[in-house]
Amino acid sequence: MNNNKPPYLARIYSVWYRHMLVYTRDLVSNGLPPFLEPLIFLAGIGLGLGKYIDEMAGMPYIQFLATGLLVTSAMYTAAFECTYSTFIRLEFDKVYDGMLAAPITATDLLVGEILWAGSKGFFFSFCVLVIIYSFGIIPISLSLLTPLIGLITGLMFAAISLFVTSYVKNINHFNFFMTGFLSPMFFFSGVVFPIQDLPGILQPVAEIFPLTHSVRLVRMVCIPYFEPSLLLDAVYCVLITLIFGYLAIYRLRRRLIQ
Amino acid sequence: MSTALIHVENCHKSYGTFKAVNHLSFDVPPAVCFGFLGPNGAGKTSMMKILYGKNVRDNVPPSVVNVMGYDPATQELEIKYQSGVVPQDNNLDTELSVIQNLIVYSKFYNMPRTMALKRIDELLEFVELKEKKHARIRELSGGMQRRLVIARALIHKPKLLILDEPTTGLDPQVRRLIWEKLQHLKEEGITILLTTHYMEEAFQICDQIIIMDKGEKIMEGKPQQLLDDHIERYVLEVQKKSAGEVLRRQIHNSAVRIDDSSQPPLFYCNDLDTLRHLAESLQNGEFYLRQSNLEDLFLQATGRTLNEQQ
Repeated sequence: MNNNKPPYLARIYSVWYRHMLVYTRDLVSNGLPPFLEPLIFLAGIGLGLGKYIDEMAGMPYIQFLATGLLVTSAMYTAAFECTYSTFIRLEFDKVYDGMLAAPITATDLLVGEILWAGSKGFFFSFCVLVIIYSFGIIPISLSLLTPLIGLITGLMFAAISLFVTSYVKNINHFNFFMTGFLSPMFFFSGVVFPIQDLPGILQPVAEIFPLTHSVRLVRMVCIPYFEPSLLLDAVYCVLITLIFGYLAIYRLRRRLIQ
Repeated sequence: MSTALIHVENCHKSYGTFKAVNHLSFDVPPAVCFGFLGPNGAGKTSMMKILYGKNVRDNVPPSVVNVMGYDPATQELEIKYQSGVVPQDNNLDTELSVIQNLIVYSKFYNMPRTMALKRIDELLEFVELKEKKHARIRELSGGMQRRLVIARALIHKPKLLILDEPTTGLDPQVRRLIWEKLQHLKEEGITILLTTHYMEEAFQICDQIIIMDKGEKIMEGKPQQLLDDHIERYVLEVQKKSAGEVLRRQIHNSAVRIDDSSQPPLFYCNDLDTLRHLAESLQNGEFYLRQSNLEDLFLQATGRTLNEQQ
């Protein structure tokens, strides 16, 4: 037996693999809702609300909303994964304690956690995309890249959520994060209506919301169009992910390794 | 320390103002079973966790912790790669089956899949869980879960096996089965480190023990040697306080030691006949004459009153 510890990528992958195995163990109840949810949402809009609103920001309303859903689904799944699920693994099931008895460091474990949530973002965006294509809402083109935007969105919200989790001692406190942060973001980040329609003083606030930048990136590949300011959106997403990811790992590591 | 597998010198661990481990030093030679005994809160678990990097020892005062040539504070991966850990809580993945739990763990060690599957079959046979291979964790009894955690710890053929209270809460049959397995592993040359508060367990399977209390080492040595050195060979227990008083009046022999920290008192002596003679004044069933054991020593060493963590 050699003394070579497993290489970094193998360690991260093993954490990711564990989550993947748990997730795919229950394919029906885990794999179906990501398809059903956009289906119900778009059916509702198409049959009802769509009749009252024809157009938004120069495109059919259903197209405007559907392209936004491509990233909100990624946001929600990553946020749930890195709040409630992470907390349960940390505090109730003690899954992390079991994993840390193996040759995995706390940092490996947390990086794996973020990557897993990012992968779920990829998958959830993909599911929405399939539904959108099947409704014929947008043409198959560059929009094939949307799962990648879902991945970026997932990673970003995983990092933010993990940072929030590092402060939480009671699982009910996540309610504040969900209703106080994610819900406003859903409405004021250009998913439901363009942020240009917000009152002037609120527009800078919308620019702070990470989701605003994901929404711009996803419309870029769906429409498709390009303008240089989109690079800033991409940079913003990467920076938020790195900063919050770093802080979250720094803080949670101290909770895992005493 | 050249021959020791684990060398610890002056280890301290505080949580805030609470001192969990205080000035602890010990050496564990290879291929032995080394036991840590102590009441809850004695610092046993903290010390185990320090050895595999789950807890970090205090920086001050300076200390040495060397596990198979590595310092767990900076080289936890090297240590864990060659060790197996059985934590106090089972912490199995309840969402996965028995075999999936083991497969996930084999991935943590970067084991190739075919090798892992072969090893898993061996281990399930070893811990007698072969029929449960595809069972869900929730379907397993406490004893089965414990055996599975032990199998999990053995997946990568460790040189060192760390077990934190491996048999707490298990019935006597499972406990004996686990002892037998540990004995077997020791014969294969694996070094075993375990914590327990079962004195019998320590006596049965440990070659060497440390008795801890309040984070400190109180005694260290081979179980039988500790008994020989620190406590009389026999003890006479009485059931009623009044019987104890009867005996007390009869004792003129200084060879009998009366332990009043227990109520009713205990009568210790190295000579069996002296105690037998003493007990003649009592009815059968009023007394119990036996060899003293580690539990007597343990209670004598750590005190009979409860600490705030018990």
